[in-house]
Amino acid sequence: MTEQIDKALAREYEAGFVSDVESETFEPGLNEDVIRRISGMKGEPEWMLEWRLSAFREWLEMEEPEWALVDYPKIDFQSISYYSAPKSMKDKPKSLDEVDPELLRTYEKLGIPLIEQQMLAGIAVDAVFDSVSVVTTFREKLEEAGVIFCPISEAVHKYPDLVKKYIGSVVPKKDNYYAALNCAVFTDGSFVYIPKGTRCPMELSTYFRINEQNTGQFERTLIIADEGSHVSYLEGCTAPQRDENQLHAAVVELVAMDNAEIKYSTVQNWYPGDENGKGGIYNFVTKRGICHTNAKISWTQVETGSSVTWKYPSCILKGDNSVGEFYSVALTRGRQQADTGTKMIHLGKNTKSTIISKGISAGRSNNSYRGLVRMNPGAEGARNFTQCDSLLIGDQCGAHTFPYVESRNPSAIVEHEATTSKVSDEQMFLCRQRGLDPEKAVSMIVNGFCKEVFKELPMEFAVEAGKLLEISLEGSVG
Amino acid sequence: MSNTNSLLTIKDLHASVEEKQIIKGLDLEIKPGEVHAIMGPNGAGKSTLGYVLSGRDGYSVESGSVTLDGEDLLDMETEDRARAGLFLAFQYPVEIPGVSNLEFLKASVDAQREARGEDAITSADFLKEAKAACKQVNLPVAFLKRGVNEGFSGGEKKRNELMQMLLL
Repeated sequence: MTEQIDKALAREYEAGFVSDVESETFEPGLNEDVIRRISGMKGEPEWMLEWRLSAFREWLEMEEPEWALVDYPKIDFQSISYYSAPKSMKDKPKSLDEVDPELLRTYEKLGIPLIEQQMLAGIAVDAVFDSVSVVTTFREKLEEAGVIFCPISEAVHKYPDLVKKYIGSVVPKKDNYYAALNCAVFTDGSFVYIPKGTRCPMELSTYFRINEQNTGQFERTLIIADEGSHVSYLEGCTAPQRDENQLHAAVVELVAMDNAEIKYSTVQNWYPGDENGKGGIYNFVTKRGICHTNAKISWTQVETGSSVTWKYPSCILKGDNSVGEFYSVALTRGRQQADTGTKMIHLGKNTKSTIISKGISAGRSNNSYRGLVRMNPGAEGARNFTQCDSLLIGDQCGAHTFPYVESRNPSAIVEHEATTSKVSDEQMFLCRQRGLDPEKAVSMIVNGFCKEVFKELPMEFAVEAGKLLEISLEGSVG
Repeated sequence: MSNTNSLLTIKDLHASVEEKQIIKGLDLEIKPGEVHAIMGPNGAGKSTLGYVLSGRDGYSVESGSVTLDGEDLLDMETEDRARAGLFLAFQYPVEIPGVSNLEFLKASVDAQREARGEDAITSADFLKEAKAACKQVNLPVAFLKRGVNEGFSGGEKKRNELMQMLLL
């Protein structure tokens, strides 16, 4: 059975192509001059450069964290290029007609047409290619509603007060090693501002693509939902198939003011490396949101890619009655390693959090849930419910759960449930006896296992996620 | 009896489970339209026969032959045997959490149709057929929405098996 699974799991990575785009790429290496050059390429104001440099100085003093259950050779930060952009982007195309058709073709191939007429109605896209944003669609329509959706490099110029006030306010510069690195060298990403009382009229989404070799992608996203507003945002990620590992270290900050709601979904499909663990993306990401009074932040993630994933989308439940949610599906196969989970920090009274984590391991992969639920002394009547389920396919993979619970308020209630199961021979036999081939049977069983999480995704993407899982498991004979 | 119009033909079948021989030289011929009941004391090999015929892992045939419609059944994969028309009603049907009965049944029906070179059934048509099948075995239609065998009582599981047989 296991041998068949391994064989079958060696599937093609569909997003693994390379786009033939002439790029301007920095020489590998990291020092203050490189940071000055990045800042210069973006024409940034002095305060932004100073902020970067101070983060870089902090980073130099920090140690690479080693507590996660992932094993990879030490990263040589001097061998990475920190900036790469298609040459055609240098003149800042004003409209889609001026954008290099090869770039548009890349996104089309990935199933994300950037021409508005061809797009799924109701979704605005910011397309980030290596270190720059290529295009952001539907901006005018969004502006009518007062919604700002633009590359963060542009927001630094156009909305400096908002950026200055909130950047680093949720994830401080020296929060952790990778966050500090990101602060020093971040290149692009999305900026979103939803005004008071506004319900964002469209789904917002950012699509990240790494193309250039030996380049790291350091994206930075900042979403601010002002009082009583509502927004749903989705990000997707892919990269070419290469033998070398590439680094992706992102920071995402969410600010939900009083009564606001942010729904943040991720479909992560970075190149996972081959079946022997060669190549693939190192995905070290810090995502955190802060909830003010009555606000709600909901993280949903479907993680199927990357060779190493280190990621803990978290909520600081600062305001009374605020709500944090985390729904996660993490699928690992081949030699993939994922250490992912969440932190729910309860500060306010009657704050509530829900964690539903589904880990699926196949091949020789390792899949860990790591989570922290902290009830601070002020969290009167706070509640948490956590459910961590692991599903094993085959007998050479690992599933691990590391739940940390700290309760400093006796009135707070913390619940934790966990299960570990296998795709059983009986289930496989039942499916096959009804005429399903083994691949279909496994994907159906896995989809059923993930149902609670998929139903949290925006409709259009729930279908996508289901398909992605199907591709990831293609041929996984049981 | 002649072989020519036999549907299922078992000849001198010897089969074992974990190296223990259970079936020792079984001959059986079933013609279209016939109903056979196999009876015997506990451990006689009734369930084993079902599993051997449907090709479950761990059940090995040592000698003998089985043909269905003249095709060598023992040479086929489990799912191909099912598509050829072999249906095993389970004694203890297993649960598949999160997968609805309707979804499971439609996937099965589609897989079998595909094997016969037919197009997939439309969801509307399938729902109609599934509702009718529910009625026939006296199961509330709500069962279609529930997870496969999830929290079903023993009787409900059996009726659910019958319903599947009607649809496939």
